[in-house]
Amino acid sequence: MHETVGIPRALLFYEYYPFWKTFFDYLGIKTIISPNTNQKILEEGVKNCVDEACLPIKLATGHVMYLASRADYIFVPRIVSLAPREYICPKFMGFPDMVRQCVPSGTRLIDTNINLYRHRGEEYRCYQELGKYFVKNPFKIRTAYQKSVKKQEDYCSLLKKGLFPEQAMKAVDRHNVKNKGYNPGGPVIAVIGHSYNLFDRHISMDLIKVLQKKGVNVVTAENLPEETMRSETSILPKRLFWTLGQKMLGAAFHYMKQPEISGIIYVVSFACGPDSMVGEIIERYIKYENTPFLKLTLDEHTGEAGVITRIEAFLDMVYWKAG
Amino acid sequence: MKVFIGIDVGSVSTNLVLIDNNNNVLDFVYLRTSGQPIKMLQEGFRELSSRLPKDVQVYGAGTTGSGRQLAGVITGADIIKNEITTHAVAASFLVPGVQTILEIGGQDSKIIILRKGVVYDFAMNTVCAAGTGSFLDQQAYRLNIPIEEFGYMALEASNPVRIAGRCAVFAESDMIHKQQLGYNTPDIVAGLCEALVRNYLNNVGKGKQILSPVVFQGGVAANVGMKSAFEKFLQTEVAVPRYYNIMGAFGAAVLAREEALKNGKTKFKGFSVSEEEYRASGFECDGCANCCEIVEIIRSGTVLARWGDRCGKWSSSVTNSERIS
Repeated sequence: MHETVGIPRALLFYEYYPFWKTFFDYLGIKTIISPNTNQKILEEGVKNCVDEACLPIKLATGHVMYLASRADYIFVPRIVSLAPREYICPKFMGFPDMVRQCVPSGTRLIDTNINLYRHRGEEYRCYQELGKYFVKNPFKIRTAYQKSVKKQEDYCSLLKKGLFPEQAMKAVDRHNVKNKGYNPGGPVIAVIGHSYNLFDRHISMDLIKVLQKKGVNVVTAENLPEETMRSETSILPKRLFWTLGQKMLGAAFHYMKQPEISGIIYVVSFACGPDSMVGEIIERYIKYENTPFLKLTLDEHTGEAGVITRIEAFLDMVYWKAG
Repeated sequence: MKVFIGIDVGSVSTNLVLIDNNNNVLDFVYLRTSGQPIKMLQEGFRELSSRLPKDVQVYGAGTTGSGRQLAGVITGADIIKNEITTHAVAASFLVPGVQTILEIGGQDSKIIILRKGVVYDFAMNTVCAAGTGSFLDQQAYRLNIPIEEFGYMALEASNPVRIAGRCAVFAESDMIHKQQLGYNTPDIVAGLCEALVRNYLNNVGKGKQILSPVVFQGGVAANVGMKSAFEKFLQTEVAVPRYYNIMGAFGAAVLAREEALKNGKTKFKGFSVSEEEYRASGFECDGCANCCEIVEIIRSGTVLARWGDRCGKWSSSVTNSERIS
């Protein structure tokens, strides 16, 4: 009998899916991904999650609820830290416990700890632990891990070439991908936001596509190497210890200095603690660079009309400035 | 005579402006939308055409405001522009050199920062509509003061009371509390204006460099109490332009003129739109779990436009003009 593992299309899905998929594939485990967010998944999430949580967490809860009746296991790793001396948002750490309260009893959650705070090498141990849910042979798990690391490297290098996660996930499996949406001569706008907001078309109201349809070329933080973002944030008086916040800030710092970038849109989710602070820092620094800047706040009540009005006005501003 | 028309369909008011080829305002209509944008738009056209000289010919039309899409489809506008851009265009036209625009409308408020005649930065209220026109409307009604007199009453205050402006609900209970304690009405009204201005500056205007000349426009600019509260907090003169309440429509007209002159022709359907029968109806699409609410605009039985769908299934299938709802 083949067991199935459900992977919610939420949170760090857009960053690590190729890694996880390769890992489970090699161990002979079938994976099920929840579909693209739709109204029903969002409603399920809002209904089941604690009120105080931010939109991405509510949404992730909705995806877990979708998988609860469809997969034998649900993969909700407890992600504590993804880089030495850095942390990830505390809501990610508590996520497995939050969903445990709302999934039907008997649902099996895989909540392996992923904590690389001390050393990047810890990652291997984390995945050994994960593999043990299904396979006894540690050598097989090691091979799975090595293959996954390789796949992840390929995936990241595709992102750096300018692909977005959805395209890169296909390209990494040797599917042909047309890099649609490139408009020679159009303005380049950096859209900065967490991958789970930006690339979730429902939540972002297909922001990237809306911009592309208006002839804008979009770049995101995903298209930059990690080192760039880390070195960009070193100008801060204190080291930023939120991995995701650092990514947003580093990308904004990098793009605002590039002459070919006509403007920056920063997408935040309402009630996100780290985002509110990072947004403030970006706004303060961007003033010196004179780059057009727009902050878009998203929540489950956000109407498309308000977002479109702001984007249109922002583009007018960009064109107006360009003359 | 060559004229251009600008239409602003907002949440609270529907305005039409007629300008000549030199961007001078010839005539305008200001109506309350009262939740019936199509009817009011037609009403506006009727009113405008009844006052129109014989030799007038419309060479271009532009729409703006939250109902811009709807108005654009109905009138056949040459340009459909967001209200931030039209307000900026209008203000920089009427007040050359303007550096800051404070705009408070029916349900949103915005700040637009211009530098060297170009929009440099802007912000709009996000999650909260406290401090906009409809809130003031409601409080005036609660205090039993006509909204037109509200501002003047604020000027009579000697000692404005402090009201929490963070949230409309809290502001209201704060205000009631102050009433119960026996503070006089002018002081409460002035306190309310100050609370709203404080809220605006801390919320929409947060982190923005407000430099003079400052222009205050939108329906709420009619309120002299708000104007003087702004002047008190900003410590600078705040100008209210002559056409403060129709700035959006004026900006749309100016842009329509540019657009129509560029294209050499207009798509405007004429004043007869006020006589046609338009209807908007909606339905919930059951194609997927998103359950989009689709709106259909119907003119005498044929579908003009549809929107509201995320996937484009309905909005792009208008050509077959088959009614669904």
